Amino acid sequence: MKKAGFFIPELIIHVFKKPVTVDYPFEKLEVPKGFRGTVNLNPQLCIVCRSCERDCPAEAIEISVVSEQEKKFKMVIHNDRCIHCAQCVEVCPTQPKAMSINTKFEMAEPSRWNMKFEYVYTRKLKEKT
Amino acid sequence: MSITIPIGPQHPALKEPISLRMTIDGEVIKDADIRLGYNHRGVEKLFEGKTYIQNIYVAERICGICSHSHTTCYVNGVEKLSGLEIPKRAAYIRVLIAELERIHSHLLWLGVAGHEAGFDSFFMYTWRDREIVMDILEEISGNRVHYAINTIGGVRRDIDETQKTKILNHLKVLRERTQYYKNLGTNEPSFVARLSGVGKLSREDAIALCAVGPTLRASGVDMDVRKDDPYNCYEEIPFEVCTSDTCDVLGRTVVRINEVLQSYDIIEYVLKNLPAGDVRVKAPRKVPEGETVSRYEAPRGENIHYIKSNGTDKPERLKVRAPTLGNYPATVAMLKNGFIADIPLIFAAIDPCICCAERMAEIQDVKTGSTEIKTFDELKKYSKKFDKHTEHKKDVEWPL
Ligand code: SF4
Ligand code: SF4
Repeated sequence: MKKAGFFIPELIIHVFKKPVTVDYPFEKLEVPKGFRGTVNLNPQLCIVCRSCERDCPAEAIEISVVSEQEKKFKMVIHNDRCIHCAQCVEVCPTQPKAMSINTKFEMAEPSRWNMKFEYVYTRKLKEKT
Repeated sequence: MSITIPIGPQHPALKEPISLRMTIDGEVIKDADIRLGYNHRGVEKLFEGKTYIQNIYVAERICGICSHSHTTCYVNGVEKLSGLEIPKRAAYIRVLIAELERIHSHLLWLGVAGHEAGFDSFFMYTWRDREIVMDILEEISGNRVHYAINTIGGVRRDIDETQKTKILNHLKVLRERTQYYKNLGTNEPSFVARLSGVGKLSREDAIALCAVGPTLRASGVDMDVRKDDPYNCYEEIPFEVCTSDTCDVLGRTVVRINEVLQSYDIIEYVLKNLPAGDVRVKAPRKVPEGETVSRYEAPRGENIHYIKSNGTDKPERLKVRAPTLGNYPATVAMLKNGFIADIPLIFAAIDPCICCAERMAEIQDVKTGSTEIKTFDELKKYSKKFDKHTEHKKDVEWPL
């Protein structure tokens, strides 16, 4: 049976409903636990295996040698290039993982150059068992 | 007398750049010409320079709506080449995400169809309901759009019991809402009148012009890769292929709503019968020499990836045929003898994803019809030369 105005009751109900959108930035939605936000390095755990650099699809990770003798390395995470795939976290072989991804999603900066994270650290030696 | 009017590449009715040239006689479209190439990104070339693992994420970014379609199609192909058998649980999770994606894509399309038909409240309600499925996807995979759940040899994340109950609860709401939209379609005369009879595509034409997906099924052809060439355990999952015989935009709407309802059934079946076990197997980085074709039923139709490997960890060639490309010839047939006012509706009815379909751009001389190949450097030089010819106005005063 076709009748005009089938949609009207629905429209009227919605006049009295609260909006489904929230007033960002005053009110924020919570992201789920497993959300892929910003990548972080824990320099104390990194063994500089370069797996993350090799597998990053966006070439967002750069590892360079600072001093060969002191086993000092520098890792730059270009957060502006990062596509938040978490492949680097997946390949990281250390236990617990040196590379991690948190739920921070507000990462806008006035300039993309501010989105570079630099870590200079001494390589962690493999623990002898 | 007939004249040709250009629609696009930048046009308010089209959300992505594409050029449609319509030869019209009064209000009636006599001929249509679709020109692509405004959104070419060189994805296929990019594939050749990256490893198989990195390419999963590149494939994911071919499309912003059916991102899972492209990765699944790609990883299924790579797994076929390396002779990997993925665990059953992984295949089921792939199906789960695929169906959730189908729901989100079809609800999005329903909204767009409502918008193009001038029914904007419908657009807002469907898009609000779509948020529910986006939230489910975010909960399972960690992102709303790029799920990144696939990896070569299985899936990256498992789902647990709490997530399962959450999904089932959300599904109840979604099913109710979808049922309401289905009733709306049969009861609201103005909406039905706007859609029916628009963009006719006969069954014969649909087959002859190789239409795919809901466009093909709305012309009464019962074809679905999930049934005809099952992948990822689809052969075990009971579902129906939805078709319609009306051959118009109304039929395409009905097919999509019914498909969404089928997807709810599939998801329920998958969640109830999820096999136990691992979700991934270890995959070698190098893929043995060979070539393969992988097919996948994306929300918009059949998606095809051709992969050629040369024994290294990078593919030698990867060709992507996105479903929208398969539907362009049929769109020309649909547009013929239609009205100008129906162009956005007919075009939106194939659910076009323009940037997915742009695999190559050809430079053609309009006068002679000859084509040429230009390297990147030549293009740069050309743009500089072109830039010189255009006059730069300096010190222009603001008129007000
Ligand atoms: S999340 Fe992905 S893109 Fe970002 S740094 Fe890690 S591997 Fe690279
Ligand atoms: S962060 Fe992990 S994967 Fe990257 S170099 Fe360090 S140990 Fe290796």
